[in-house]
Amino acid sequence: MKNKLRELRAAREWSQSDLADRLGVSRQTVNAIETEKYDPSLPLAFKVAKLFKQSIEEIFEAEG
Amino acid sequence: MLYSGFVMNAKPNLPNEIFWGKEYSWRMDSKVNGWLALAAVISSLTDIIFAHTVKQWPMEARVGIVLAEFLALALWARSVTQWIRGMDELHRRIMTSVMLAAVGATFFFMLLWHCLNRAGLFDVLFGKPKAGGWDIGTVCHGFLLFVLFYGIAQAICNRRYK
Repeated sequence: MKNKLRELRAAREWSQSDLADRLGVSRQTVNAIETEKYDPSLPLAFKVAKLFKQSIEEIFEAEG
Repeated sequence: MLYSGFVMNAKPNLPNEIFWGKEYSWRMDSKVNGWLALAAVISSLTDIIFAHTVKQWPMEARVGIVLAEFLALALWARSVTQWIRGMDELHRRIMTSVMLAAVGATFFFMLLWHCLNRAGLFDVLFGKPKAGGWDIGTVCHGFLLFVLFYGIAQAICNRRYK
């Protein structure tokens, strides 16, 4: 699944650790989502959407 | 329940907190693996130091020792489950897979070894032992095998997400 997490984080000048702290996950999880190696659960996707004040569809895009 | 509906800590637990490295935490390691260490100590005492005298002890004492060993193992399983529940969703998924693989491989290996030993393979390969046998059924053996398979499984699973 493609996502805009890296761009959104960079726009706010947050490090992966900063974002991880805000989401209550580890830095490795943020990295795995940004590199598209891991698709977050629905509760975590909602948390991301709420944090960046965007809809889930605006941040995550299903491939194919 | 492992994957959903669990409120995460502000700082989620990390797998490397109980593995040697820069994230290692002695406090977390003893919290998670303390009961396993106790089970291994009881097992060592009964298997090595008291090997010859323990059979002369009353049956209740012998059963008590064995039950204490397995009670410690049950409590270890409980503390590992709590530790995994405190992780974030990615690490929870990785650790569930790693634990399942490590426990499964340990069980499979010990069962295979036991069957091969019963068939007499190790007596032919290494000769008849002076005392005991070639069987591996103690908590110490299980612990060492579990650590080995845990390391292998963790390396494989971590590589997928790095």
